[in-house]
Amino acid sequence: MNKHYDIVIIGSGVIGSSIAYHLSERKEKDILVVDKGFPLSGTSGSTQAWVWVHNKTPSWYGELSMYSAELYPFLGKKIGDVEYKRTGGIAPFFNESEREKALKLAEAQAEVGIKVEVLNREQVLEKEPALSPSIAGATYSDIDGNVNPFRLVELYIKAAQKNHVQFAFYNPVLDIKKEKGLFKIFTKKEEPVTAEKVIIAGGPWTKEIGEMLGVHIPVKQVRGQIIVTEPLAPFLTHTIGGMRQAENGEVLIGYSKEEVGYDRRTTLDVIQETASMAENYVPALARANVVRSFAGIRVIPEDGFPIVGTIPGVHNAFIATMHSGITLSPLIGTLMSELLMEGETSIDLGRLSLRRFMKASEKV
Amino acid sequence: METDVLIIGAGPAGLNSAYEIASNGVQTVIVDESFFPGGQLKQQTQYFNNLPRQFEAQRGITLAETLANRLHSLPVTMLHKHTMIGVYKDGSIGVSNGESTFPIKAKKVIVTTGAAEETCLFPGWTLPGVMTVGAAQILMNRERVLPGKNAIILGCNSFSQEVAQQLKDCGVNILGIIEKNTSLGRESRERLHSDIPLLLNSYITRAMGRGEVEKVFINHNGSEQEWRADLICIGNGLSPILEPFEILDCSFTNKEKLGGLLPGYDSNFKTENSSVYVAGNAAGITCMGGVLLTAEIAAADVLRHLGVLNREDAARQTTYLWKELLRIETQTDSEVFYARVASIQEFHEKNNIPLPTSFHAILEEC
Repeated sequence: MNKHYDIVIIGSGVIGSSIAYHLSERKEKDILVVDKGFPLSGTSGSTQAWVWVHNKTPSWYGELSMYSAELYPFLGKKIGDVEYKRTGGIAPFFNESEREKALKLAEAQAEVGIKVEVLNREQVLEKEPALSPSIAGATYSDIDGNVNPFRLVELYIKAAQKNHVQFAFYNPVLDIKKEKGLFKIFTKKEEPVTAEKVIIAGGPWTKEIGEMLGVHIPVKQVRGQIIVTEPLAPFLTHTIGGMRQAENGEVLIGYSKEEVGYDRRTTLDVIQETASMAENYVPALARANVVRSFAGIRVIPEDGFPIVGTIPGVHNAFIATMHSGITLSPLIGTLMSELLMEGETSIDLGRLSLRRFMKASEKV
Repeated sequence: METDVLIIGAGPAGLNSAYEIASNGVQTVIVDESFFPGGQLKQQTQYFNNLPRQFEAQRGITLAETLANRLHSLPVTMLHKHTMIGVYKDGSIGVSNGESTFPIKAKKVIVTTGAAEETCLFPGWTLPGVMTVGAAQILMNRERVLPGKNAIILGCNSFSQEVAQQLKDCGVNILGIIEKNTSLGRESRERLHSDIPLLLNSYITRAMGRGEVEKVFINHNGSEQEWRADLICIGNGLSPILEPFEILDCSFTNKEKLGGLLPGYDSNFKTENSSVYVAGNAAGITCMGGVLLTAEIAAADVLRHLGVLNREDAARQTTYLWKELLRIETQTDSEVFYARVASIQEFHEKNNIPLPTSFHAILEEC
C-alpha cells in the first residue's frame, strides 16, 4: 500500500514551509512536504529578503502586505528569532515631478491604514545621511523592514518538524494523478504517495506542477541579480529602494529584472549597471569593493499579484504562489491553514484566486 | 580588447598553453592576478624531474623563467595584476585591475587557474603560526622569512614532505610529520627521511598559545602527547579552483583522486562550454609534467578549431601528447591518470559525443 498523507505540499521554500508550519500548529493532520532540491537552494535563498509594504499598490495589496508584516514579531516569538528588523523603508525619487505621485500614494495607503510620509530632500538626508543630495525626496514608512531568509525558512521547517511534518528533499515530483478521489504523487526517489489534499508551492516551478494537474498557472520567471559589497561599518540604517546593509556590514544591492528562464548566472553588464545605480543612490558606495554577486529567479504571476486559494476544477487542490513570498509568508501560511482546516479564511481571498486568469468557459 | 585566445592564469599550464598557441602566430592574452608570471612555481625551489621531453629537469623557479622567457618574441599580451571577475552577456570575459573593469572578447578561452590548498580544522587553527605548507614555502622562498623555529607538519604527502625538507634545510627544527593514516603511499614512502620523525595514526587535537602557537596536543595511536611548537604547517592536499568555470557555465564532476570537484571535459580538455578549455591542476590535481602536458593537449585543439592545425596534424599531436601524459602521470600516480580517463569517458557518454578513435589506443593501454 502507498503511504498516505492528509496533505502533501509541493515546494519547501518560504511559502511551502510557512504553510506546513501553520498547518502543523494544530497537530491534526499528517503532512508531507516534498522539494526537488534543498531548502534555500532556490528563490527563497537568493533574495534581499525585504519585508516591504509601503509602496505596494493598489492599496488592497499594500494592506495584505501590512497584515503580514504585522505578523512577523509574533512569528518570531513562536518559531524563534528570524532576525526580523523593522528598519523603516525609504523609496527615493530623483525628480520633483514624482512628488505628486508620492502624495497620491500616501493618500491611498492611508485609507487602508498604512502610514506613508512624503519627505523632502532635507528630511531624507536627515534620516539617512549617506543618501545622495541629488535625491529630490522619498516616500517613507515605519512598517518596512527585512528579515534573515535563512533563519526564516530553517525555523519554519524546524518548527513544522517538531509538529511531526515530514520533509523529503532532493525529491522532485514527477507526476500527479487523481485516483478514487485521492491524489497519487510520483516522486523521483520514493514510492508514490497518496494524499487527500495537495498544495502547490513550487515557486518558479509552479507552472510545471500545475500542468501535472492539467491546470495552466500563468507565472513568469524573472531573474534578479544582486551584488554584495565587502563588510562596511554600519552606515545605512533603513531598507532603501534597491539596497540594504546586512547585520554583518555587507550591503546587498539589486534592481534588475530579466526574463531569461531559470538561468541563475550573473552577467557583468547587469552587475556594472547595478553598481552605478547604487552610486546614484549612495555616493559613498563608489569606494566599496564588491566581493560577490548572485542571481535569484523571482516567480511573478502574470498580473503581478499572488495566486492563492483553491484550484478551480480540481477538487482538493490548492495553490500559493507569488512574488514577495518573504513579505507575505506569515500571512499566507495563516490563511492557507484556515482554508484547508476550516474551508474559509479570515481575509477574503477572492481577489487572489486563480479563477481571474481563466476563460469564461473554464470557470466551472 | 579582442584576441584569438584568452588564457586565465599565468602559472605553468597557462604559460605553456600560451607558448604552444602563440608560437603559431596566434594572438594570445594572458590574465594573471599576480605581478609576475609563473604562479606557484615562483617559490618552488624543488627539482621537477619528470617533465615532458622538451624540458630538462629543473627547479620550479627556473621553470617559471624558462616558460615566461619563451613568450618574449611571440604575440602574447601579458596582463599582470588583472583578475577575471565575471562574464558579459555576449560572452566576453570581464577583467579588472582593481581600478577599472573591461571586456576581453576571445574566440577561445583556456582556464588555467590551478588549485587551492585544503586546510584542516582543529581547535586553535586560527592562531598565528598555523598555515598551509604552501604558505610556509612562500614565506621561506619568496619573502625570505622563516615562518617559525619548531615546526609540526600535518599531513604526509610529497608536497608536505618537500616543504618539511626545505624548512629543515633553512634551519627550522622539524618536530615531526603527523599523519592520520596508518600507512603511506608509494611516493611518500620513497621520500621518507630518517631525520624527520613520522607519526602515523595521529592527528592534532588542539593548538594553544597566547597570541601564537605555543603548545600542540597530538593524539598518537590513541594517546595524547603535548609538544612545544610555534609553527604548524598543514599539508592536506589541493583542490581545483572552480569559480571561473561556474561563471562560464561549465558542468562539474567529482573525482576524489583528482582533488574532488572539477570541471567536466572531453579528451581535448574542452568543457561543456565549447569555447572554454581547462588545463593544469584546474583539470584535476596532477604532477608538474601532467600540468604542462594537459596545457599542450588543450592548445592543440584550440589551434585546430582556429584553423591553424589541420585535423590530421592535430590528431597526431594529441595522440603523442596523450601517450606522454600516460607515461608521466602513471610514473607518479597511476590512479590520477585512470581517474582522469574515467572522467573523460563519463563526459563523452553524458554529452553523447563519441570518443575520438585515437583515444581508444590510450584506453587500451590503461
